[in-house]
Amino acid sequence: MNAVPVRPEVAVVGAGPAGMAAACSLAESGVEVLVLDEQPAPGGQVYREVEKVHEQRPEDLAALGTQYRAGLELVRRFRHSGAGYLPRTSVWEITAASEPELAIGTLHDGAAQMLYPRHIILATGAMERPTPFPGWTLPGVMTVGAAQTLLKTSGLMPAGRIVLAGTGPLLYLYANQLLTAGTRPEAILDTRPATSMGALASLLPALAVQPGALLRGLGWMRAVRGSIPVSSRVTALKALGDERVASVSYESAGQSHELQAELLLVHDGVIPNTWLAMAAGIQHHFDQRQACWVPDVRGVGRTSRESIAIVGDGAAIQGAEVAILQGERLAHEVLGQLRGAKGPVLPTPVEPPALRQQRLLQRFLKRYFPPSAYFQLPPDDSTIVCRCEEITAGEIRKVAALGCVGPNQAKAFTRCGMGPCMGRKCALTVSQLMAQVHDVSVEEMGHYRIRPPIRPITVGQLADMPMTGEETGSAADPPGKFASANSSSSKR
Amino acid sequence: MYRRSAAIAEPVILWFEDRKIMAAPGDSLAAALLAAGVSVFRRAPVSGAKRGPFCMIGNCFECLVEIDGQGVVQACSTEVRQGMRVYMPRGQSPGEGD
Amino acid sequence: MRHLDIAVVGGGLLGSAFAYGLSSHGVQVGLIDEGDNAIRTARGNFGLVWVQGKGRGMPEYARWTLASARAWADFSAQLGEETGTATGYHQPGGFFVAISKDEFNHNLKLLEQLRKEAGADGYEYEVVENPALREHLPGIGPEVPGATYCRHDGHANPLQLLRALQEGFERNGGSYIPRSHISEIRPLAVGGFEIFSGDRLVTGCEKLVIAAGHGGADLGRQLGMDIPIHPVQGQVVVTERSPAHLAYPTNYVRKTDEGYFMLGPSARDTGFDLETETTTLRDIVRQCSKAFPYLRELRIQRSWAALRIMTPDGFPVYAQSRDFPGAFSFSCHSGVTLAALHAREVPQWVLAGEIPSAHRCFGLERFDVSA
Repeated sequence: MNAVPVRPEVAVVGAGPAGMAAACSLAESGVEVLVLDEQPAPGGQVYREVEKVHEQRPEDLAALGTQYRAGLELVRRFRHSGAGYLPRTSVWEITAASEPELAIGTLHDGAAQMLYPRHIILATGAMERPTPFPGWTLPGVMTVGAAQTLLKTSGLMPAGRIVLAGTGPLLYLYANQLLTAGTRPEAILDTRPATSMGALASLLPALAVQPGALLRGLGWMRAVRGSIPVSSRVTALKALGDERVASVSYESAGQSHELQAELLLVHDGVIPNTWLAMAAGIQHHFDQRQACWVPDVRGVGRTSRESIAIVGDGAAIQGAEVAILQGERLAHEVLGQLRGAKGPVLPTPVEPPALRQQRLLQRFLKRYFPPSAYFQLPPDDSTIVCRCEEITAGEIRKVAALGCVGPNQAKAFTRCGMGPCMGRKCALTVSQLMAQVHDVSVEEMGHYRIRPPIRPITVGQLADMPMTGEETGSAADPPGKFASANSSSSKR
Repeated sequence: MYRRSAAIAEPVILWFEDRKIMAAPGDSLAAALLAAGVSVFRRAPVSGAKRGPFCMIGNCFECLVEIDGQGVVQACSTEVRQGMRVYMPRGQSPGEGD
Repeated sequence: MRHLDIAVVGGGLLGSAFAYGLSSHGVQVGLIDEGDNAIRTARGNFGLVWVQGKGRGMPEYARWTLASARAWADFSAQLGEETGTATGYHQPGGFFVAISKDEFNHNLKLLEQLRKEAGADGYEYEVVENPALREHLPGIGPEVPGATYCRHDGHANPLQLLRALQEGFERNGGSYIPRSHISEIRPLAVGGFEIFSGDRLVTGCEKLVIAAGHGGADLGRQLGMDIPIHPVQGQVVVTERSPAHLAYPTNYVRKTDEGYFMLGPSARDTGFDLETETTTLRDIVRQCSKAFPYLRELRIQRSWAALRIMTPDGFPVYAQSRDFPGAFSFSCHSGVTLAALHAREVPQWVLAGEIPSAHRCFGLERFDVSA
């Protein structure tokens, strides 16, 4: 392993569209940038493994579509940008604002290390919105995003009786990818409510500026609806089975139905993955329309911590094209902050027309695919909300009704959110359920307090970590080198 | 549940419990097990209910498995290795351990 | 307007124990709490019901601690019966592990001194050196020179304790009053007090217990009680569930009923900063994995920081205002260990309007430099 700069000027977390664009732009301006990425290759979730698919599985490339293929160009630019790239590296903490120095805790190849950048850009992307419903913990129930990841990383196609449930652009995109590859799901159980006036009103401006994207989307929807039976306004979705999913029951148009299924793929849109930002103490607020927590952002990506910026879907769900455009703009903003001491602070770069056009498109998509009420506030009290500790919606409602003031106290009293996922799959639901019981806004109800380490690290890995300026002796490699394979994790 | 779009050229052999699994180089452990028809990876520690991968991007921790010499890891974020011995996590369920 | 017999300000482990105990005496009690982001020490409590090593220089505190440890089993059983919430209390005895020779010698000296100070009361502990220690603590690290054992030590789940106390309080007919940060207490000329959150009158009351932790200092001052407390940050690390067996609680590590290991406790002086500090975290896991090397392969599941309140001598404060009788201020950092007495004995002082002479040593006079 090559030497890793312990004090890069800028560290970028995540090598998706936003992270790559920001890193390219900064590196091309002569800034020393280091990109930390959990994945083995650049691309993030949206362009995941695009290089490998291109080289090894060109037939899958056809199924994955034009937007995915477009990622190859950015990945190639990133590879040649001069930005440092650390794949297979997780970030488990960013030190608190009160600490003497900005630092980022990394884990690579079993070795933990602190890096001390001047500036951090978080490009941690999105995650799928939690979709609690009875039976969603059964093996064989997965997210649409998970199935798509399996297609990108390993060329896995669902086989047997497949049912898709929920809603959102990704669900229809994936259904179309399956059809292109010759796989036909049994049904799509669409939970989307009736199209609102707001959605219709936002359609025209979007159509005016982004006719191509919208027509492409309409094309998929038409292809999908022509080949796969679609049930509309689905509620009362349940996955049934003893040891794994065997069937799916639901209601549509006042009728109850049951379908056999060995794979149930669910999706209800995506939300920013805020765990690292929250653990870093960055201020967030609850976005009513998107029904999710988003960081407070000024300018392009400035947060409540001056040295930490956020960009891409981690800042607000806007999709890959916006993430790239914003990544470029953020690079200028950060450059202005870094060079500010030596010269005038650059003004926030103006929004290019392409960005405004994309925003109109995204605005329409959000209004056309609002989060499903059925998943937001699971009506059935037996629905497991916290998958890790198996806490139900009923238990959350009960402790809230007994006077429990918020999610942190509910966590302390019920263990919800205390398991290995650290609340990623229940935080939103718990805040929303408690807000409902107390009849206050979700914003007022608040969110779990998120603390490091937010990615897995073992006791031994943390114990062996050298700190800056410390006598490390033989305990670990000196700072400035990343540990070579198995050096410090197996030394005992 | 899943099939591979392409045949495996140079297989990586590993074991899940007592089952021999053929994986493709670069597969995540979760992908390799799913492709081999394994859907149950572990038991939920509270009820003992069976669980398998859910999100595939490291967020849900449903795909936890135990690897010899490595402890309990997320199968979706772990690359397959030749000869790897993988188990359902031991001692995380009620009534187990001791 | 609401007028209570007794208002308890502070819904943490202390306040909840007092409120639960008071409410079982047929008086009307209100428990005034902050919101979801209250600086809650219970969340950072390690969960030890611990006697060993406590009370040097104040034998009354050693006795007080022991009395609570002795009462805990019965207290926990009663609370569990009343509320259906188990505190997870176990009393297998506890090991005070030393991870270096120096630390071991220091611990032995401390315990010897406590034995001397206890005089006729006696002070029970056993010394177990390492090869023998392995029988009790399998997997103990080779660098550990030894440990001391005390049969009165035990552990419980602080979060479930807090929950049970609050449930018991509500079951006794107490009124829980959340989302109220108390900023002002006004003594009334006719006796009694009015309690304000900003401009909002939260309640009136005849008597008052301030158990507001860090906020208690300011409120106490308003009633002529100068309580010299400062925050000390404690950090705790929790691992994933593990099949490894640890039959006894120790000062570094304990295993919970749910199957997790808790690692800690650390203490560092701090302001009101609730972020975890990386060096402290790393030092905790270093020490704990030196004591129990098998912990090394376990994944860290969560860590958190909480503020403990410390008096200059580290002993509790149980005080009644001289200027405004009926106003009490209680603070200490051993909310779990002392919960049994806080629920059973201390409420009687409040009801009687007097702290018994045997316990006046916990008063504020001891900090009075002019005395």
